Amino acid sequence: MTSVADKLRFEPTALPASLETLRAEVRAFLKEALADVPVVKRSHSWEAYDAEFSAKLGAKGWLGMTLPKQYGGHGRSALERYVVVEESLVAGAPTAFHWVADRQSGPLVVRYGTEEQKKAIVPAITAGKACFAIGMSEPNSGSDLASLRTRAERTATGWKVNGTKIWTSNAHRANYMIALFRTDPDPNKKHAGLSQFLIDLSKTRGITPRTIQNLAGGRNFNEVAFVDAELPPDALLGTEGQGWRQVTEELAFERSGPERYLSCFFLLRKLIDVVKDNASPATLARLGTQVAWAATLRTMSLSIAAKLNAGQDPLLEAAVVKDLGCQFEQALPGLAQELCELEPTLEGHGSEYQQVLGSLIQVAPSFSLRGGTPEILRGIIAKGMGVR
Amino acid sequence: MNETQQMLEDTVNRLFGDRLGWDQLTAIEEQGFPTALWAETVEQGIPKVLADEAAGGMGVGWSDAYPVLRACGRHAVPLPVVEATIAEWLARQAGATLPAGVPGLLPRAIAASAVSATTLTLSNARTPWGRNADFLVGVAAKGEGAELIIAATSGLAVAAEDNIGRDPRDSLSGDASVITRQALPLAPDCVHWLGALARSAQIAGAGAAALDLALKYGAERSQFGKPLSGFQAIQHYLADLAGVVASVDAIAMAACVGLDQRGMAPSGRNARFEIAAAKCRASEAVEKLTRLSHQVHGAIGFTYEYGLHFLTRRLWAWRAEFGGAGEWGEYLGRVAADVGGDGIWPLITA
Repeated sequence: MTSVADKLRFEPTALPASLETLRAEVRAFLKEALADVPVVKRSHSWEAYDAEFSAKLGAKGWLGMTLPKQYGGHGRSALERYVVVEESLVAGAPTAFHWVADRQSGPLVVRYGTEEQKKAIVPAITAGKACFAIGMSEPNSGSDLASLRTRAERTATGWKVNGTKIWTSNAHRANYMIALFRTDPDPNKKHAGLSQFLIDLSKTRGITPRTIQNLAGGRNFNEVAFVDAELPPDALLGTEGQGWRQVTEELAFERSGPERYLSCFFLLRKLIDVVKDNASPATLARLGTQVAWAATLRTMSLSIAAKLNAGQDPLLEAAVVKDLGCQFEQALPGLAQELCELEPTLEGHGSEYQQVLGSLIQVAPSFSLRGGTPEILRGIIAKGMGVR
Repeated sequence: MNETQQMLEDTVNRLFGDRLGWDQLTAIEEQGFPTALWAETVEQGIPKVLADEAAGGMGVGWSDAYPVLRACGRHAVPLPVVEATIAEWLARQAGATLPAGVPGLLPRAIAASAVSATTLTLSNARTPWGRNADFLVGVAAKGEGAELIIAATSGLAVAAEDNIGRDPRDSLSGDASVITRQALPLAPDCVHWLGALARSAQIAGAGAAALDLALKYGAERSQFGKPLSGFQAIQHYLADLAGVVASVDAIAMAACVGLDQRGMAPSGRNARFEIAAAKCRASEAVEKLTRLSHQVHGAIGFTYEYGLHFLTRRLWAWRAEFGGAGEWGEYLGRVAADVGGDGIWPLITA
């Protein structure tokens, strides 16, 4: 007599004491490194691009932590990396330069790359000197990723790529892109006709990024045109035709981390400070309900990290936490306005709190778009429960 | 889950799975306290998991007892099992032994002035299963500390009342003879906190059972030529429901682990933070757990004949018992205001 809830257990995880030592070191480093960064900039955290900061983090040994030592990684545990990542997000560290590389590109290359690819890439990621872009979505393929059409054709000298990627964060300034292309145009091979490629952007002609401004004025993502872009034969990452399976694993890295509930945490911190001295019991109750959510999501997120650390594949759990985390984050700007009648403002105007609110209120819609929409995630959860 | 937890969960699921089908739950609502089932529950040692081994208990901690509390929610158990579990733990902390029989757990701290050497004076003390209780267990303030009070129920006036789950929540008044007074190294309000923790676990269990029913019904019921769960809107209700169930389960389990590791002294970084978070989250979750599980079922779920209501009526009752989302949210809001914006993350990760 089992319950479907038995498949969705988030067993509490206790971090070993050594990780609390690491946490203290990371906190102290971030406090000093970010002392002069304005609060509104810190609220941008993982959208903020700062190559110098990433190199400093690399020098501390806090990037590529889980990658194997033999390739230049640190061979540390997923839980150690987890501590660094959550502390960076909460402190509002500018992580955009190294984020994708550290989170998914590095592990992907280690899992599927050739010896040469691993030796070329891992040390750069570990040093905080490699910025990666993810070439997945296309203008006509968003949630229906497997319908993508950008074509990589074999040539005498390697591969020739034609098509367009979109929403490609940092493509205009990244060093590398890992992209999913169609290598077999047979319409019966929707999923089986896809392959992943590791592209050195500095060495490839025919790739033109055009920056797309987001509604908040930010310039992170791009439309990227591939016009007869020529890739060497060894640009193929993993196995030809296995791109869908590989990209699904990559998305699991993308969906399972603490950024899925912590990208608005700075607003909660500022909100507490704004209301704390004159809060009514009703205000405290609303604020505390949000704190209860934060504590719950931390428990769940850490439990996923422990499962990853134990070599499990918590795909279903990650979808649940991303879906819940997104609800938590998107509710924060509304809660802030309910509890405190201060208008959101643009950068440079109003109080620090108002600027943080103004910034996060504008970017909040993206929380339920990036890395899988709730519609996709709930489909995954339903499937995981045997519903479809 | 570890072996102890798995063994306890299996034991409780087996017993209540067999004995508490919808027909049996209906009969209990008509006939009152299921004396034979209580005897069987006691015989299997279920209310005594937290009792000292010398007192015939298992002497485990809250994290091992959690599956039992959760299963009491899953099976809509109409018996004071979690109340007895709390009473046994309190007795163990005080070095006391409970008498045999059904305990009546007093949820609120007892004022020092209501206790003398021989008498406990009650005035409309709302007590789960008060009418069935063979003895009372409560915690009274004493000086700076607290004491465990065990008292007889004879001679008390009982104003019978059921909560909307149809479980007895009676008000007791009068002078009760004190059986035992024993110093207790806890705060006088500890029953309120432990009750909040237990109700959180029960909400996790009842929510999981409501989800199971919704999944089963969604697969069986066809409309427009296909099963309900073939519709994306229904799939999303079910997925949403599953996430909410998992969230309550996660924080309630974490609170049990926290209680075992840090205790609940009124000051310092103790398990009060996790317990408050658990009951706040659990009470808030009840709205979605009940609304979505009923929505998937349509009108059949609104009938007495179909047993979803055994779960959802209890969820509505448990949402408010031992403090709702407002009370526990206010506690957490005050904690957040005290530590300030820079202190909240260190508190969560402490």
